[in-house]
Amino acid sequence: MTSISALENIHIKGLFGDYEDKNEKDLLKISENKDLLIIQIVQYKSSSTFLESLKIDGLNLKNETLNVCSNSDTRILWNGPNSWLLVSNKKKLLREIIGKFDENNFAVTDLSHSRAIIELNGENAKEVLKKGCPYNFNELKKDNCLNSTFNGMPVTIDLLDNNPNKIRIFTLRSFSESLYHSITDSCLEFGYKGI
Amino acid sequence: MLHIKCPHCGMRSQNEFSYGGDATIKRPELNKEISDQDWNNFVYNRKSLRGKHLELWQHLSGCRQWIKVERDTATHEIFKTLKANQDI
Repeated sequence: MTSISALENIHIKGLFGDYEDKNEKDLLKISENKDLLIIQIVQYKSSSTFLESLKIDGLNLKNETLNVCSNSDTRILWNGPNSWLLVSNKKKLLREIIGKFDENNFAVTDLSHSRAIIELNGENAKEVLKKGCPYNFNELKKDNCLNSTFNGMPVTIDLLDNNPNKIRIFTLRSFSESLYHSITDSCLEFGYKGI
Repeated sequence: MLHIKCPHCGMRSQNEFSYGGDATIKRPELNKEISDQDWNNFVYNRKSLRGKHLELWQHLSGCRQWIKVERDTATHEIFKTLKANQDI
């Protein structure tokens, strides 16, 4: 069975907004990230398991604010105390995770089909987010993530790169179309390319 | 607009939080006989103080943790924020 992506019916490719007389390279790029494995891992309060001994795809779970542990395929986002969001290209990781994280100490939930991911790429990506999100994005550095709201919609924001800015915005699948409208509206001022 | 320093995430906007009521109210002990008046006081009756007040907030759009906030209800000045299991 093939899965239908969250933005299948709404994401349009092409140039939009104030793009005229601008170099196409300098425009914001908006794309949808699909077919990623998204796993929520929560350690129970009663658990006494040491996190240092657990590795997924060579990465540790770190209990640090804004922290993202990453390699070329996998990113582990800090989601709150003893709570992480794993995002990976490797679909087979799910079995490894279920094997390593026993159900007496951890809750592992596959969220792959319940989230939509919009990727913003370009110098003005942070300026777009500032329009709808109350966080101070000047403080956000490469490999940082946070949970916040964008125009009232709960989002998880992950800064993959800062030269130029490459940002993934996660939201509930049911909010995906509203968030896409909000993001693209905010991008019109700068001009953007849907890819 | 308030800015609340979440003990887990750092300084964040009030938009991300949800107010959760008076943090000084203690639930009656489980399995203990309690009068209707005491239960009524626990569930409904609150003092609406003007001044320093200890409140519960939840960082709903952030780390989803409950925290305690010591705030002046007249000036909105926030003096201290604590994890839910900490006491002043």
